[in-house]
Amino acid sequence: MRLWRRSVVGEQHAAPLHASAIPGETEVSASLLAVRGISKCFGNTQALDGVSLEFRAGEIHAVLGENGAGKSTLMHILAGMYRPDAGTMLLDGWPAVFNSPREARRAGIGMVHQHFTLVETLTVAENLTLSLPQQTGWRYDGVAAAAEARALAQRVGLDLSPPELTVAELPVGARQRIEILKALAHAARVLILDEPTAVLTPQEVRRLFVMLRELRAQGRLIIFITHKLREVREIADRVTIMRRGRVVGTFDPASLSESEMAERMIGDVVPARPRATERARGDVVLHVTQLSARDERDLPALVDVSFAVRAGEVFGIAGVDGNGQRELFEVLAGLRSPSGGTVSLRGSPVTDFTPRALLAAGIGHIPPDRQHDGLVLPMTVQENFLLSRTRLDRCSRRGLLNAKAARRFSTEVARASDVRADLDAPARSLSGGNQQRVVVARALAQKPAVLVAANPSRGLDVAATRTVAEALLDSACRGCAVVLISTDLDEVLDLSDRVTVLSRGRLSRALEPPIDIEQLGLLMAGVQH
Amino acid sequence: MQALAARFGPSVLALAGALAVSALTVALAGRDPAVAFGALLDGAFGSADSLSEVAVKTCPLLLCGLAIATSFQAGVWNIGVEGQLLVGALAMAVLGTHALPLPAGLTLGAYLIAAAAAGAAWAGIAGVLKLRRNVNEVISTIMLNFVALGLIGYLVQGPLMEAGGRYPQTDAVLPALWMPRLVLGHRAHAGLLLALLIAGAMHVLLRRSVAGYEMRAAGLNPAAARLAGIDVDGRLLLSLLVSGALAGFAGGIEVSAVTHRLYEHFSPGWGFTAIAVGLLGRLSPAGVVVAAVFFGALDAGSNAMQRAAGVSSVLVAIIQAIVILSLVALERGRWLPGGQAAARREE
Repeated sequence: MRLWRRSVVGEQHAAPLHASAIPGETEVSASLLAVRGISKCFGNTQALDGVSLEFRAGEIHAVLGENGAGKSTLMHILAGMYRPDAGTMLLDGWPAVFNSPREARRAGIGMVHQHFTLVETLTVAENLTLSLPQQTGWRYDGVAAAAEARALAQRVGLDLSPPELTVAELPVGARQRIEILKALAHAARVLILDEPTAVLTPQEVRRLFVMLRELRAQGRLIIFITHKLREVREIADRVTIMRRGRVVGTFDPASLSESEMAERMIGDVVPARPRATERARGDVVLHVTQLSARDERDLPALVDVSFAVRAGEVFGIAGVDGNGQRELFEVLAGLRSPSGGTVSLRGSPVTDFTPRALLAAGIGHIPPDRQHDGLVLPMTVQENFLLSRTRLDRCSRRGLLNAKAARRFSTEVARASDVRADLDAPARSLSGGNQQRVVVARALAQKPAVLVAANPSRGLDVAATRTVAEALLDSACRGCAVVLISTDLDEVLDLSDRVTVLSRGRLSRALEPPIDIEQLGLLMAGVQH
Repeated sequence: MQALAARFGPSVLALAGALAVSALTVALAGRDPAVAFGALLDGAFGSADSLSEVAVKTCPLLLCGLAIATSFQAGVWNIGVEGQLLVGALAMAVLGTHALPLPAGLTLGAYLIAAAAAGAAWAGIAGVLKLRRNVNEVISTIMLNFVALGLIGYLVQGPLMEAGGRYPQTDAVLPALWMPRLVLGHRAHAGLLLALLIAGAMHVLLRRSVAGYEMRAAGLNPAAARLAGIDVDGRLLLSLLVSGALAGFAGGIEVSAVTHRLYEHFSPGWGFTAIAVGLLGRLSPAGVVVAAVFFGALDAGSNAMQRAAGVSSVLVAIIQAIVILSLVALERGRWLPGGQAAARREE
């Protein structure tokens, strides 16, 4: 056993090439955790493509990248949730294979997920007991559990909420501390935090950072996933930037400006083609003035958002998820009432923020999640084509559906939108691309004055992405005002006549082609407005 | 044809399984399954009288099965059909002792509508609780069953007890308001025809009307339905009200046609058997008709089986239970609350 292990070490030292291939690399020997050539596919999507990286003990290592860059996939592999298709993982220089999160935890790797895994109705102590290593017997001793929770908190050096409180009574920041404590309960030497600041208030972020520095001082490795440049500069010792499943490089945050980081995160994007000029622009159709909205936690999600879109124009709103994109879509679709400001269509303000009223007023939409908000999967393709209040009115008489009109309409739309599927087959049997074609075709069949599209090509293959893009541009050519809200920067740049960025609920000023990528990156990172 | 097979295949499978298991049960109890099932068949279809009994049992099962189909299709889990039926029966029993200055047929029609309205109102309590206070309708409708049962228990032993005061039951409804019989000398009554007409109407409502389309869409994916401009809450409430009305109507017919009065153990659990009827009929009105006749025949035949073959009529309950369990298992719980989301995640 010993001998075998030695030989592995030998191999590692004999092959320093991998390590030196990482830009900004200085030394290899102190590496606590390393990955070599890790690849992972989901279906047709290459989530990770030959990723090599090393992490050291006693550092806070930020992993930076856009949505879909592969950060989370990599972390899930480190924490034993996914198994890589190719590549190896080294812990203390030894090859490590984790078949489950439990094995990773035993090896000292703890992960705190973006979505907490606490049982809200249980107390703090009970939640900690659930994840403590040794549990024997069948009796639960509340007093002992509380004492153990306190001892654990003291050992780790974190202050803990009173163990007797139920989790439901605690604010988000306190819940996150329990999650971190849970991860550390197994004497974790590696702590992975998946976008820990996304749910926190600025004050809570400050507390979190104080805590992370303490944990670093204890010699632990902290891997910190984020897409916020400011945080990287504030807390990270090193930063690895990822893009489209590959590592761009590992850097010293102090040596890079925020705009340099943003540029590496976004990459060399092909500038938008001058398609904009080919279309005739009409009058302003959609006018949004100082729109504000609050999210479920009653925190401001949109702040004084103002923009105007003309007929025939594609107005792109870029930005990273969680910066008000969902709320903006919901307001424009009538699912969420604004807390302030106005939305006007062709000069007349919207007063009734219901899906029905907005559909009737001429706003069509492509929702961000076609399976959740767009389709009724068990219903047939034809029934899904009819799924719209205004369409139902047109295909019925005196409350009864007109089967012939419905069939004629669906056949026509299916042909026009290239949906090659049996109209009587359930929508669930369609491929993702065909499902999205149904959603897009249905929205366009209404001939909307304004089309609000949210991440219209998310998860689609190349061909389906192209048809969706063509459909959006076609509708613009026919005089529709298109609002494209997307986290896919390529998509926004390819299709939009003007581009803005929604960051922390605020909309930046609009950029027009030729678009300066560096400037856009800064806007996306929320550095300037 | 293929679609039909896909839709009703699980029902046939569940039935076959249920019959196999019950045959095994009979054999284990030391009786001959062939004799038992023979007696069951004979008891259900062997004579004009037994056919008439099948019709009598089918009527409430059909209406209640339609009630289940209507609400379940809209994703509303109305387990309170039993209570809504009782309240409908109560309305008929109370009103039926009073004559109106109208022809008897019109009076009966008006009272049946009142019974349906009473059932709808009882279901509406659960609907309002769901929409206003987010109370899960499974819980509230089950609980309202007990409330209805308790209410009737109190009324028939107290304020509504028959004039003679001998038994805990209401006075008989006026003979003029008894539902006409189909064949003289047999208990089969015109209520079954009404129920079949209503099954046709429910088919139109669920499959051909905009309201039915919206109910189904709202039940299968409320988020998408809402975004499409459909009034999801309104449709869910409508489905619950229609469901309650059908159950109340069933109760009204039963009082007018069969029992003529209301007493404590008026329903042998029609509202619960109806869940099996609805599921076996795959929540489609046509399927429910077939399933209701099947369960009606089981019910009518079981007594004959007990007499002739010495096999307890509880066997029918076993068959019903196995049908429900195997259907739910075959569909991976897709029909149960939260089951749709779980099924979606699997795909």
